Amino acid sequence: MTASLTTPAPGRVRSDAPRGGASVRARRRLSVHATYLLPAWLLVAAVVVVPLGLSVWMSLHNETMLRSGRFIGLENYTDVLTGDFWPALGITLVFSLAAIAVQVPIGLGLAMVLNRELRGTQLYRSVLLLPMLLTPVAVGLMWRLMLNADTGVINGVAGMLHLPALNWLGDRTLAVVSVVLVDAWQNIPFVMLLSLAGLQSLPDAPLEAAAVDGATGWQSFWHITLPMLTPVLGVVVMIRIIESIKLFDIIYILTQGGPGTATQNLSLLNYRVGFSFMNTGQAAALGIVICVVLIPVFWLQKKVNEQ
Amino acid sequence: MTKTLRNLPGHLVLVVACLAALFPIYWTVLTSVKSRVDIFAQPPTFWASDPTWDNYAQVLADPEFVRAALVTIVVTLASTVLATFAGALAAYGLVRRGRFGGRGSFDGMLILIRALPGIVLAVPLYKIVVDLGVYDSPVALVVVYAAINLPFAVWLMTGFVQGVPYELEEAARVDGANQAGVLLRVVLPLIGPGLAATTIFVALMTWNEFLIPLVLADRSAKTLPVYVGGFVTSRVINWGGMAAAASIAIVPIALLTSLVQRNLVRGLSSGAIKD
Repeated sequence: MTASLTTPAPGRVRSDAPRGGASVRARRRLSVHATYLLPAWLLVAAVVVVPLGLSVWMSLHNETMLRSGRFIGLENYTDVLTGDFWPALGITLVFSLAAIAVQVPIGLGLAMVLNRELRGTQLYRSVLLLPMLLTPVAVGLMWRLMLNADTGVINGVAGMLHLPALNWLGDRTLAVVSVVLVDAWQNIPFVMLLSLAGLQSLPDAPLEAAAVDGATGWQSFWHITLPMLTPVLGVVVMIRIIESIKLFDIIYILTQGGPGTATQNLSLLNYRVGFSFMNTGQAAALGIVICVVLIPVFWLQKKVNEQ
Repeated sequence: MTKTLRNLPGHLVLVVACLAALFPIYWTVLTSVKSRVDIFAQPPTFWASDPTWDNYAQVLADPEFVRAALVTIVVTLASTVLATFAGALAAYGLVRRGRFGGRGSFDGMLILIRALPGIVLAVPLYKIVVDLGVYDSPVALVVVYAAINLPFAVWLMTGFVQGVPYELEEAARVDGANQAGVLLRVVLPLIGPGLAATTIFVALMTWNEFLIPLVLADRSAKTLPVYVGGFVTSRVINWGGMAAAASIAIVPIALLTSLVQRNLVRGLSSGAIKD
């Protein structure tokens, strides 16, 4: 490895970084350290930098999967922005908000109960973590099996209880509900796990003091536990927002974006344009548009990394 | 007695939650051993009156399944090693030199990978892979998976590298060790547990990856999730076979993670919690 591969910036070395002797030696070691990033940079270049650059180029041409195209300026972009983009953006936001609204209260609630360390908590926790570890595709299949309108167990049980059978995956509203439900089933354990870790790291003193002062359980939760837990919950919420925006596998298996376009989020739409309609130029343009609308999400991810 | 009574609501909540977590898994495994008649029985039966292994025999005898399983194992191993190696080295470089040229752009790239929907990268990657003649090749999957899991590996390993006291490295250098010696004999043993945890996570995410092989592979590099997912795209769904395939896909994960759950919990929690 050569020290000249990366040029060190003359900028300030952080105070907690090791101090070298002469500045020349320090600089040399600085660049050696930078080369540790070389394998990672090669991967990133091959899978992010080059593809995104190519995406910009593709988005300006009317190419498809079967033929290369000619330069058409911004036509792909106007097509994208007058097509299914806005409904897809809307349903992406719906899935994301629903994920937070459903998963955070339930996950936090379960963590609070687990944190009481009842007998058998270890076993409860192991079982409750299972869903988040399963392959999302398998999770989608499991629920598709159960939600099937004719043969699924959920309508079967509803029938036994004399409740009406519902067309879970075939009705526009219920399909959205189903996706939210399955995403929640798989990811509540993640919220629970991080909330539990957060609860266990809280100091006991404030809660004990509150108990001495006669605070009710609800009061100490609302005024002490929740405020102290806010940083952890913030990270959990940000991670869940990012992941739910990326949601693909579960929707692909459950509804493939349907019925119609009812559950077609940005990922599904981009897949459909690129690989079902084989309109790669337009798919690339949509990808660039997605990058732009997700700028606030990149900012969220930056905050998560800084935590 | 009063204590048991007071704890009763808590137990009740946890038992209901456990049932909700377990029932879909139970139902899938149950369906996989049900006969065709039982699968379509209304009202549904909650046990298999006449268990059959036919669905498993059918899946396991499918040469496409066997190949998908082999591809998935090989690709997961290779990609996990690559991502963990590159991630650990990068984490070391980042921790030991807080700031140097390109730090910001490197972080930016990791953020892009984490937050961008995979499909945005998959569209141009498809074109690149076809042009390079590596469409439907495990090699392409190994490289792309490794890059996609890199941010996670860097993020986890950074925490572990920060735990290595720099004084130890300096001491080894004073004793005449070169940088390779320092890395192998001082740093590596100390970050061993971290490497193990990172390897497990990355392997888990690699094993589960669906979109990338769906787009970049067809037949010869088809992975297990794509094979399993293929059960829903056919016009008439073979429920028993689908349940058997789903059960096969979840069993290794369930076994692996029950073995390493302690590491898993600690590793996942460490990122979000600061002491």
